Amino acid sequence: MRLVLLFAAFTVLGLAFESAIPHLVSFHALIPNLIIILVVDLGLRHHGAAPAMLAFAMGYATDALAGSHPGLNAFMMTMVFIVSYEISTRLMVANAMVGAMVVFFGVIASALGTVALADGFSALSDTGSMLGGLTIEAGVSAIAAPFIFSMLAASKRMAGLPVRAKRE
Amino acid sequence: MRGSFLWRNRVLLTSGALLIISLHLISTGVHPGDLAARPESAFLEIVSPVDAAFTRLTEGASSIAKDYLDLLHVREENARLRIELARVKSDRARLAELEVENRHLGELLELKDVLGAKAVAANVIGSDATGLSRTLILASGSSDGLRAGMAVLANQGVVGKIIAISPHASRVLLIDDHNSALDGFDQRSRARGIVAGLVDDGLILKYADRSQDIRIGDTIVTSGLDGIFPRGLLVGTIKSVHRGGPGLFLGVRIDPAVDFGQLEQVLIVTQPPPHLDDAGKD
Repeated sequence: MRLVLLFAAFTVLGLAFESAIPHLVSFHALIPNLIIILVVDLGLRHHGAAPAMLAFAMGYATDALAGSHPGLNAFMMTMVFIVSYEISTRLMVANAMVGAMVVFFGVIASALGTVALADGFSALSDTGSMLGGLTIEAGVSAIAAPFIFSMLAASKRMAGLPVRAKRE
Repeated sequence: MRGSFLWRNRVLLTSGALLIISLHLISTGVHPGDLAARPESAFLEIVSPVDAAFTRLTEGASSIAKDYLDLLHVREENARLRIELARVKSDRARLAELEVENRHLGELLELKDVLGAKAVAANVIGSDATGLSRTLILASGSSDGLRAGMAVLANQGVVGKIIAISPHASRVLLIDDHNSALDGFDQRSRARGIVAGLVDDGLILKYADRSQDIRIGDTIVTSGLDGIFPRGLLVGTIKSVHRGGPGLFLGVRIDPAVDFGQLEQVLIVTQPPPHLDDAGKD
């Protein structure tokens, strides 16, 4: 329950930030994708059915503020969670560097996946002009990820939650 | 229990089930009023006040930063004068902001009178959280009389339509989003087509026949045939016409009349004008 409340608070703040900042920063690529960072942290450090449902809920919350097809971000965030979880179970260490790499590729893959699911795979051929901005957004998100992970770790310690995943 | 197949694979099994639910939501769509739309509406309702607070906070921080930079250039002035200057500047900025807002609302009011439709004004408090789609968040919702599907306008022209709603907030799908489509026509040649957005940004006129006389600089307006946008509203001007490609239709790009990045207030048509009902007879 504490994990759900903690991530719910971070999600509300993250979504409000991502939605409000474009009014100041006209180049959207400079705004990190905070929700993917949160989902990657869940996948790397919290293994269970509840964190998977939390990742889905965070995606569905994103659907409320972005895009025109409800379920798209929920799908993508669940995918990012599965990949993060699989990486975490196969690697000996799941530190901030690994998390940043997963965030980088997660941002690009989820954006292209969103376009493919919403408009069909043929629409991917029209995404050439998006890729530059998308790579910058992925880079900014990867740079921001370790800071968000440490903020989450500090919040989890305060809430008495485990900071690292239990090895299964 | 802990050693069982279900327990060992609980993460993947749960995630798989959630992926199937997501795909079901994507394929069937969620309509306002559906059970599945309630969490979405609740999220929008929860996040919109925080969003509005963030917007005010960031605008305030930006204003303070600007004031501070100005003050660095007048170091020789004493502290009292600097504080006074900052206060006067802050008041002036606030008054200027009110003046701009007043002007925008006045223009929207004029547009409302011209339309002859019932409409309400709303403030824009946010934009698409992912940046992949082109949507806006408004600080008005169903408690202000808004409903999904209503047309959203600015004094420069058509903005989009409401796609999601909660009691005190709503989301607008802009006309340049790649999932948006509206019926429009060339005001000079009367050539009709569907105005749609593109994935890589921009607006096009689809299904315009090759024999049609469409020229650069022509004005595109709404036809009213889609039953959402009143007839004759400005959509944009023709930026380019491509006749060389294969296929039956022209490749027409439109320069939108509205600068979607600069929108602060919009007008929502809550009850279309009576002549919208007659538009289909054209």
